[in-house]
Amino acid sequence: MTDEAIVASQLTKVYRSRWSGREVRAVDGLSLSVRRGSIFGLLGPNGAGKTTFVKMLLSAVHPTAGTAAIFGRDAAKPESRRPIGYLPENHRFPTYFTGAGMLDFYAALSGMDLSARKRRIPELLALVGLGDWGQVRIGKYSKGMLQRVGLAQALIHEPQMLILDEPTDGVDPVGRRQIRDILHGLQAKGVTIFINSHLLAEVETFCEEVAILSKGKLAVQGRVHDLTTGKGYKLTAASVPERLRDELQSTAASVAARNGFIDFQFASREQTNAALDRLRAEQCEIEAITPTTSTLEDVFVAAVTPQQGSAK
Amino acid sequence: MNPTATIALIQDTFREAMARKIFWGLFGLSTLMIVFFLFIMKIDVVEGAVATMSLFGRETGHSTDVNRMMTGVYGGIATFLYTWGMALAVFASAGLIPSVLEPGRIELILSKPVSRIHIMLGRYAGNVLVVAANTTYLVLGVWLILSAKTGIWRPEFLWSILATVFIFAVLLAVVVLIGVLWESTALATMVTVGLMILSPILAQTSTMMKLLSSESYRNAWRFLYNVLPKIYGIGTMTLDVVRQKPVTDFFPIWSSAIFGAAVLSAAIYVFVRRDF
Repeated sequence: MTDEAIVASQLTKVYRSRWSGREVRAVDGLSLSVRRGSIFGLLGPNGAGKTTFVKMLLSAVHPTAGTAAIFGRDAAKPESRRPIGYLPENHRFPTYFTGAGMLDFYAALSGMDLSARKRRIPELLALVGLGDWGQVRIGKYSKGMLQRVGLAQALIHEPQMLILDEPTDGVDPVGRRQIRDILHGLQAKGVTIFINSHLLAEVETFCEEVAILSKGKLAVQGRVHDLTTGKGYKLTAASVPERLRDELQSTAASVAARNGFIDFQFASREQTNAALDRLRAEQCEIEAITPTTSTLEDVFVAAVTPQQGSAK
Repeated sequence: MNPTATIALIQDTFREAMARKIFWGLFGLSTLMIVFFLFIMKIDVVEGAVATMSLFGRETGHSTDVNRMMTGVYGGIATFLYTWGMALAVFASAGLIPSVLEPGRIELILSKPVSRIHIMLGRYAGNVLVVAANTTYLVLGVWLILSAKTGIWRPEFLWSILATVFIFAVLLAVVVLIGVLWESTALATMVTVGLMILSPILAQTSTMMKLLSSESYRNAWRFLYNVLPKIYGIGTMTLDVVRQKPVTDFFPIWSSAIFGAAVLSAAIYVFVRRDF
């Protein structure tokens, strides 16, 4: 049994215009892997190739080059999709279905027999808070309800991996919390969760690992904790003479006065220690030394901005 | 091939046909026709001859040989059902293929562990079965009523079910190909109607061979006649069967079957290779 839920190797998708012959490289030599049982976030600006990448994993789009494997199986083979539950971003469930009817259809396509479907459908409708809506036509559902029944659809066959495109889009805060709780519960059971989202704050709190795509290429991949720590240290001190403050300002990234304290921001541990020695030598009071972190948004902007700039 | 998925795809086509009122539209028209024969057309048969026949309460004929009359009636109905039933079925179901290819719907179906060939064949079979169910209901209903009223049971009439469903299946292959290429219901309808109009014209091959001046025109005509589905030819064959005449030339059937199979294969090939 492989430890990798997804392995993409040099995956490339080039769209060619039929008439002008112009090429667009939607995904360009992308290699990444997702560990089994992890919660993985795929990020990137619009047009970065996220959806194309996901569609290649699901074989809805054929790669121009490269390979992808799902739990060690070639992603081009229909059998590789058996352990996957998928919720697309702009899903369009036929409105003639009731919630239960829609779940029954997609469960049958996943190969579930009738008795398993009859058992599982009420369970899932209750899980996503639509227990009373199973016999109502989907045309009557709100956007948030559609998203929740869509999640139920992705979960119907008890998949080993969920691929979710903007899973909380249109869902109210209570519903979001509910979805997050469901996903955490699934992760605890060992389900791999792959999320494609624009909501950076949500990805930051929810995902363990992220990949950021820019112009079809992998710009950054790593654990969220690793990517957002190690930016530097904030040293807060009181009773700092003006002379020393001016002296330290030359090595600090920033200096700010606040309620009688001065916050020095240093980029490295060495600079912080040197400043600390100087402050102690001058009998200054040290209030706090705090490692500072980047937000995922900082990482995201840093990852995509230079390439956006160079494209101009 | 997973039978659960196949049944689900067929059921889904039925569900959509019902939701779009296609199934109920065809069912309603069929019921109207059955009601017509049940209540409006009255036939009194006395010792093998039609004593009186009335339509909307007015008498239309006297002392006709019932066998001869039924040959004419069955022939007329079979021709009517074949042409209009087929046209109606094509118009009604032309949208069922493009609808499943809509963005947001097809990706979800493709994400399931079902091959694209399986998906397309399941949808195609569902569509054919929708029309087969309605055609069977109509033809069987009309046959039972006429047979019970006249006491003449002509099972040959039931061949018109097969003929209508068969030619619909051939034309549906064209609808599927256009659907996967351009996702256009209007274009699919136009092309299939074009084939229906072209068929009786192309069937006049012997006359056209005399009229066409150049050999290349004649060859082009022969090519089109041989390749395109023989809608008119199969209609004529059905009429012959219903009239209890012998059928010796099966070329219209097998050549149309080859056309349908080739076009459906091309549609599946395009569908398998397409990005969604």
